[in-house]
Amino acid sequence: MTLATAPVSRVLTPTLRSSARRARFWIGIGVVIAIVVLISTVVNGATRTAGAAFSPTNASPTGSKAIAEVLRQQGVDVRVSTTLADATKGLASGDATLFLVDDNEYLGKQQLAALSAEAGRMVILAPTTAQLAAIAPSVREGATVGNRVLRYSATTGCDIPAARRAGAITGTGVGYRSSDTAASTCFSTGKNSFSVIATGAGTVTVVGAMSAFDNEHVGDRGNAALALGLLGQSRRLVWYLPTIGDSALDTAPTIGQLTPLWVSPVIVLLLLTVLVAAVWRGRRMGPLVVENLPVVVRASETMEGRARLYQRSSARLRALDSLRIGAVARLATLSGLPRLAGVDEVIAAVATITGQDPGGIRLLLLDAEPASDRDLVRLSDALLELERAAGASVRPDPGTPERAPTMPPHDGE
Amino acid sequence: MAVSGWFVVLVALGVIPLVVFDDPAWLGLWLLIAVIIGIIDFVFAGSARAITLGRQLPDRVRLGETVGATLFVTNTGRRRVRGTVRDGWQPSAGATPTRTAVSIPSGERRAMPITLTPFRRGERRAADVTVRSFGPLGLVARQATLSMPGAIRVLPPFNSRKHLPSRLARLRELDGRTSVMIRGQGTEFDSLREYVRGDDVRSIDWRATARRTDPFSGSGPQLVVRTWRPERDRRVVIVIDSGRTSAARIANEPRIDTAFESSLLLAALATRAGDRVDLTIYDRRLRGRVQGATGAELLSRMVDVMAPIEPDLIETDWSAVPSLVRSVTSHHALVVLMTSIDAPGASRGLLSVLPQLTRKHTVVVASVTDPAVLEHIAERRDRDEVYLAAAAERATLDTARVSAAIRQLGAEVVTGAPADLPPALADHYIALKAAGRL
Repeated sequence: MTLATAPVSRVLTPTLRSSARRARFWIGIGVVIAIVVLISTVVNGATRTAGAAFSPTNASPTGSKAIAEVLRQQGVDVRVSTTLADATKGLASGDATLFLVDDNEYLGKQQLAALSAEAGRMVILAPTTAQLAAIAPSVREGATVGNRVLRYSATTGCDIPAARRAGAITGTGVGYRSSDTAASTCFSTGKNSFSVIATGAGTVTVVGAMSAFDNEHVGDRGNAALALGLLGQSRRLVWYLPTIGDSALDTAPTIGQLTPLWVSPVIVLLLLTVLVAAVWRGRRMGPLVVENLPVVVRASETMEGRARLYQRSSARLRALDSLRIGAVARLATLSGLPRLAGVDEVIAAVATITGQDPGGIRLLLLDAEPASDRDLVRLSDALLELERAAGASVRPDPGTPERAPTMPPHDGE
Repeated sequence: MAVSGWFVVLVALGVIPLVVFDDPAWLGLWLLIAVIIGIIDFVFAGSARAITLGRQLPDRVRLGETVGATLFVTNTGRRRVRGTVRDGWQPSAGATPTRTAVSIPSGERRAMPITLTPFRRGERRAADVTVRSFGPLGLVARQATLSMPGAIRVLPPFNSRKHLPSRLARLRELDGRTSVMIRGQGTEFDSLREYVRGDDVRSIDWRATARRTDPFSGSGPQLVVRTWRPERDRRVVIVIDSGRTSAARIANEPRIDTAFESSLLLAALATRAGDRVDLTIYDRRLRGRVQGATGAELLSRMVDVMAPIEPDLIETDWSAVPSLVRSVTSHHALVVLMTSIDAPGASRGLLSVLPQLTRKHTVVVASVTDPAVLEHIAERRDRDEVYLAAAAERATLDTARVSAAIRQLGAEVVTGAPADLPPALADHYIALKAAGRL
């Protein structure tokens, strides 16, 4: 027995400090990446979408703060509404224009009809077919319009002053058709398709040119003139962006509304519990101890491989010859012949001791060729039977149980 | 750091306040409480780093035997270390238990008994010790792994020593018998004694008889015979092939292990018979060597040399073996080559150098045969088995051809199943000794 002691135990687990020191490089990289992300966010923040599209408080390229601010400076009372009730209240005071952008289709047909009835003047931006059916049944939705310049033309039957003043606009948005001959149609976008249509004696204006109202394109061409002209007609502008609260759909309460308040936190807690349990079970008790495993080679593999090779290539004669060589050697031993005795001597000797026909034995031991696997098995059985018969006839006591053929001893014992 | 199942339970218990108060804020609050309790427990846990270790370990153990070892764990920290200690042994060392619960007050030492039952030969190692020390609440633990290397040498089992008593008895019989019967090469003069009826008349020493007869007393002539005994101090050189063929397993035992068993039995027998045994284990380089040891020391050195040797997957370089034998002895010796004689192709190297060895020495080639081959030859019930039997016949034929070639070159062949080879080789040695051919 030897006593091995480690007087000062060398601790292999790194301390918090040393692992922090080792991770310094990666921590540094992480900090640098964080700083870069922060800076790029601050720098690009102005160009990012921050708020709803066409919102009068949104200064980003998709917002419409520019128009709203200009209108305010010009003395228009811009009221921003996000609920139907608020919008209706704003309109109630009389001379007011309603600017409606509802690209999510929150408002139902009845709500839209009520709104249009309430509003003395209404500008609706890029309405869908359903919305048109409620507000301006004579107008149909047409093709999408790409980013191209639409020019004012007196021949299109346009008598909207704002359109005439604008002259030309960038028309990105939607084109509309009108079946009402009395309607004022401006800015042709194609065959019978227009970007701005005023219908219902000028009380409802359908505008397809969405780019005329956002901050990014409002300065292009006559966009600003069109937008300001359309929205600044009254003393008051109700800028209504419907939200999900106005949703016309009278749906059943959602699962979220039906479940008790504690369900979601409990789910979160259980997930965290699973995480902690994973840490509990997954924390290994020290590192693995490596071990070189031995090579396992079964010696009989070559023999089995050879058997499969014989079988796959149907080498019946070769297989049978192997069996015959073994049988001849054993038969020679049984009949007391020397190891190097010729096969003819063995045949003669076996014929003598078993009393069988030498021709048959010769056929079995030398001449027969197996034509099929069945033949092979039959000949193999016959070989075994011959060996058994030879063994039985040379054994002094015929009553002894038969043994399996034994190998000729080839060792020096 | 590690957490216990109780910490998981603590986190899960947050469900109760969440449901009772029905307020999502309790989620964060409860997690905060759990983390704070965990931190407190962690801070008050005994340091797992402030542990010193010691190990009491036997040097060696025979394969298949069980041996006890002790790990001493000393707590040098200020707080009690309560938790688990794991001794990191290799799996094949068969260590039980690998984990022990401990509670060590500050400044005290505890002994952890461990029993080792290795199931592989060679050097079995322990790398390190891991200590997990829980805090007073048993929620969170400090964990550290400390380096504590240890090794135990697992020796070959020498199961064949059960054959030794019977072979020694035969050796003694041989001594008595050959003292009168056999004379010639390999025997030496032992003594003169009076003729008794039954002695070989050819062994009568007439000159000694004439000297012994007293011419004056007139008593009858007293015939004197010479006795002989087997020559002692012969050399036995065992060469074990540790190349790729010795890695093959027969009856779930690698050939090299059978070779070790055989050489241990042969060496034990030969050293009792007064011969000198040298062992070399070789493939392309000398893997192990025992020279000049006798008696009990021989066997202990042999098992020590054999223990860590595993077969290399390279072809054995037989051309260097004659010079290897020459470096052991320049006199006539019994050279035992432990290798495999499976296929003519693989044995070509062996056959090419045999004449150099047989010119000077008595050479015995010992090889393991697969008992499954014989079973396959006898079993031919269906097509697959017939083909397998044919392949088995072919394999025995190959072996027989290589054996015949070896015999033709003047060497002798001993084969046997893994269990039979050691006694067969021992018997062959006794036969050679009896024949005075050593």
